[in-house]
Amino acid sequence: MTDLAAVAEEALAAVRTADSLDELDEVRVRYTGKRSPLAEAQSSMRDLEPDQRRELGQAINEYKERFQDAYDTRHAELEAAELEERLEEERLDLSLPPRRVRPGRPHLITQVLDEIVDAFVGLGYRVADGPEAEAGPFAFDLLNIPPDHPARQEMDTVYVDDDADVVLRPHTSPVQVRVMLEQQPPIAVVVPGRVFRADTIDATHSPVFHQVEGLLVDEGVTMADLRGTLQAFARAVFGPGRDVRLRPSMFPFTEPSAEVDVSCGLCRAGVGAADPDACRVCSGTGWIEVLGAGMVDPFVLDACGIDPDTHSGFAFGVGAERVAMLRHGVEDIRHLYDGDVRFLQRF
Amino acid sequence: MKVPVSWLRSFVDLDGMPVDEIIDVMSLNGLEVEEILRPGHGTAGVRVKRVIEREPHPDADKLQVVQVTDGDTETELVCGAWNFEVGDLVAHAEVGATIPPQQAGGEPFELAARKIRGVTSNGMLCSARELQLGEDHEGIIVLPDDAPLGADLTDVLPVGEPVIDVAVLSDRGDHHSILGIARELAAILDTSLSVPEVPVPDTDGAVDLTIHASDGCSHFATWAVEGARIGPSPWWVRQRLAQCGIRAINTVVDVTNYVMLELGQPLHAFDLDQLEGPELHIRWAEDGETLVTLDDQTRELAPTDLVIADASRIVSLAGVMGGAETEVSAATDRVLIEGAIWDPSTIRRTSRRLNLVSEASLRFERGVDPAGARRAVARAVELLEDVAGATRGKFDEAGGEGADRGSVTVDPGRVSRLLGVEVPADTQRGYLERLGCAVADDDGSLVVTPPSWRGDLVRPADVAEEVARLHGYERIPATLPDTRVVGGLTRQQRAEREIRAAALSSGFHEVTTRPFSGDRVLEGVTPSDGRVSLVNPVAKDTPYMSPTLVEGLLGVVRRNVGQGRPGVAVFEYARIFRPAGDPIEESLKAFGEGWRWHDHDERQLPTQPRTLGLAAQGAKAGQGWLDADEVWSPYDLLAVFDEVAERLAPPDDPTWQLERAAVEREGYHPGRSAVLRLRGTDVGFVGALHPVEADRRDLPEPVIVGELLVEPLLEHLVDDVAPVQARPLVTHPALTIDVALAAPEDVTYEDLAAAARAGAGDLLDELWFFDEYRGEQVGPGQRSVAMRLRLQAPDRQLTDDDADAVIAAVGREAEVIGATLRR
Repeated sequence: MTDLAAVAEEALAAVRTADSLDELDEVRVRYTGKRSPLAEAQSSMRDLEPDQRRELGQAINEYKERFQDAYDTRHAELEAAELEERLEEERLDLSLPPRRVRPGRPHLITQVLDEIVDAFVGLGYRVADGPEAEAGPFAFDLLNIPPDHPARQEMDTVYVDDDADVVLRPHTSPVQVRVMLEQQPPIAVVVPGRVFRADTIDATHSPVFHQVEGLLVDEGVTMADLRGTLQAFARAVFGPGRDVRLRPSMFPFTEPSAEVDVSCGLCRAGVGAADPDACRVCSGTGWIEVLGAGMVDPFVLDACGIDPDTHSGFAFGVGAERVAMLRHGVEDIRHLYDGDVRFLQRF
Repeated sequence: MKVPVSWLRSFVDLDGMPVDEIIDVMSLNGLEVEEILRPGHGTAGVRVKRVIEREPHPDADKLQVVQVTDGDTETELVCGAWNFEVGDLVAHAEVGATIPPQQAGGEPFELAARKIRGVTSNGMLCSARELQLGEDHEGIIVLPDDAPLGADLTDVLPVGEPVIDVAVLSDRGDHHSILGIARELAAILDTSLSVPEVPVPDTDGAVDLTIHASDGCSHFATWAVEGARIGPSPWWVRQRLAQCGIRAINTVVDVTNYVMLELGQPLHAFDLDQLEGPELHIRWAEDGETLVTLDDQTRELAPTDLVIADASRIVSLAGVMGGAETEVSAATDRVLIEGAIWDPSTIRRTSRRLNLVSEASLRFERGVDPAGARRAVARAVELLEDVAGATRGKFDEAGGEGADRGSVTVDPGRVSRLLGVEVPADTQRGYLERLGCAVADDDGSLVVTPPSWRGDLVRPADVAEEVARLHGYERIPATLPDTRVVGGLTRQQRAEREIRAAALSSGFHEVTTRPFSGDRVLEGVTPSDGRVSLVNPVAKDTPYMSPTLVEGLLGVVRRNVGQGRPGVAVFEYARIFRPAGDPIEESLKAFGEGWRWHDHDERQLPTQPRTLGLAAQGAKAGQGWLDADEVWSPYDLLAVFDEVAERLAPPDDPTWQLERAAVEREGYHPGRSAVLRLRGTDVGFVGALHPVEADRRDLPEPVIVGELLVEPLLEHLVDDVAPVQARPLVTHPALTIDVALAAPEDVTYEDLAAAARAGAGDLLDELWFFDEYRGEQVGPGQRSVAMRLRLQAPDRQLTDDDADAVIAAVGREAEVIGATLRR
């Protein structure tokens, strides 16, 4: 008859020294499986006297209990060790560059246009659109630019070879006309869009550029309203604290007309005298010329079916390229049209 | 208009205001300053000297050795000019003196003693060009006899004095003169203006004047002089002309130009003895008539041109340029000074037609003071007496200075309301009077009669601007309008932002290109021969508006390849251009009419649909570390277009999916090109460039381009589109199975996927393609396509029996299209 007590010592030692879960399992089979000393002892039970059987039964139970305790302990130890090992193996160098799927970037001009549009949408404006190959009367005549007006020559318009009078719109203003012909006041729209001039390409000229036109027509609209609106625009697009300055100018479709300067954000001062060395952005004047604006000329209102005796309005036009170049230090307008990915990714 | 500050100060009392301040006043009050010039700036140590001896250089034929003195000290120098005599006063740049930079942007030049062929030259005698006093470089400056000997030249001539270049606004022709600018400044600053007094004529009858074309000429005035010295003008005349950018010619021509600059009225000088009659006729030209103008060009005239003729021939092209035959020459004795008021649009038309722009035409076409001709002619006569010793003769005129300009009645309250600032009526009146207007009160309204030179003041709005300007734009406060409107983007406008977002999220950068193209373009969506051509294209080799975005995008790809990038993906969202009636309209009108634009007469403008263009080339990830070998493929472009269609199309309507059909197009890979169809209509295209085409453009393959007309998708996005409705989420877990279908190569994936969908029926939640196999296991000419299907039922847990039933059903559907289920 097997001495279970002696076997137990041997089995517990084997459990404690098992190096892996697999080895531990082998030990379990060896000492508690079908051919183990335990199985032998159990099968010998039926030949024993009741007294001996009880005694052996107790020994078997004791053996099983001790073995199970030792096994559980060792199993937990080995499982923890293996998890530890796996975690160690799975260690990553997280300083490696991330597997980044880079989305594309919206073009700088789109960003500027959207930003300006959003600023005006916040002020209650809608967005209007019109064709780029545009009817001459919408581009000129209805805007108070008759055929022999010098402004027509000054605009360097590109003409489309067509039986009708068709041009590549030299400004977004024809959309003003289209809106006013379709809709009665109150009107508040902005028009972002591409425009064209017969200009030779160089660092500061492009035959293609973008404008945002704004138009507000209602009863009792004043030039002070124009100033306040442009100030809101300047602060939204150039930053808080900016100021605007209006200088008399001449546009056929507005009267009074103004060139609009925004206070310089780089030197924030204006040192008085014009001096290119004083400030890269404003040449030391403290002001940057940004847009043209004015009160809608009564001729234009009348031509578009709005009574200039009861209504007034203002209009303005901002060059998106100019804003982008000023704000982001772009020194050559061609960068905006070349599509060099290094430039595109930057913004 | 170039305005020498000293000249300006002689007209308007600026009380010693510094130039910087003058410039500020100008630019804040409607006189746009372009730049400040300082001709002669950098001149120092140049002094008035008398020539006391001159003799040939011992060792050089073309040089002479000259002794000059300042009264005390004699100096020897070498000179290459010969236009002076012993006793003349000259400008001597001494050793150590500086003269202006001789090239634009250079530094002033400092003189040192220098040996020239063995003789030491102590400085030099200056020419007009060297001191930027004019163009003359034939000889040195010879000063008038009364110049103070030994004086610094900058005290004798205003060398280096500031000249303000003013950009004249197109409605302010009156600013094309010193008087005009001075008058403006006097009004702005409320200071006094002094206009030169001119002689009053007392006899007439030098010439017979007749205006036959009174619609082209309102006033014509002449004044004859005799005995004018024809020769170089005095330095003060020459310098002012130089400062204003006009060449000095001779006393007579210089005086007419001087008066034009001073008063804004162009003048012409005839040799009176060359005029037949003497009589002058102002008339329209006749077809076939010609005139040789002062620049010796023979001009073919048209009946729309105004001319001046004498008894037998045309002698001047009115308002543009005089004739050569009657030009003042050195032999001229009697001169007829002529000033006239021409119709601006006539002068503009003639100037454009002949492509001939002169200082005169520039002023006439913007409108001169209709009451200015007599004064200008008289001023010229006075100056000729002064600088050329002329004797005044007889004055004649035809037409007249005309009635006053019409008056404008304005309501001062309305002006205040337009400006948003209260300007009392009396104050407004004061501003207008400062501008030269006559103002009367009519029961609270102001009746404003503008001065003769302000042809631009015709409506109340024009008067309001003048009030605002003199009041100061800076005094207008900042308020926000209390207009009550609702703003925001429309659904279409939001969708346009989504289109961009779809391309951006797939890794495409946005670009803007110039939409001009040449004869040959690689076609994109719905090709046609239709081109929108330009009358005056920006460049000769791109005379058309781009009919596709493809060429512009390939230009961008080329640039980035040239820059050394391993790969690039870009998109542009813009309009493409086709003539009205182009076949592309078939693709557009199937979905609506919102893309059509019309002119004021309801004629259709060129078709210019909004289009999304894509281009990708080369490596996809660039220098990424996990996918370094991946390159762009047509599928990447198709994915963007599918995404766009899915975001914009009506929800839950499978008929709005983009369908693809293989196509072969010139320039494209025959096996990698497809048109995209929406509800049976061609709306897009994706294709890889043919290897030969890619090579021709020097672009490493792969190069893939694509284009999608967006108008069809935008068309239905009106503001009352039904919103997407939520779908109940199935709570029972889904069951995923894989099926593989083997079929001949010509059975498309689209057909195989349709079979799988049909087999799965209502149980199908989603289907993915995941593998493609060709080889032994399926046999030659066959391929196997593996798909993963996720199945679910809203009412129960699916079992293996359901999976088996779906697989069997897919097998049956496959057989219908000639495919077999692989087990």
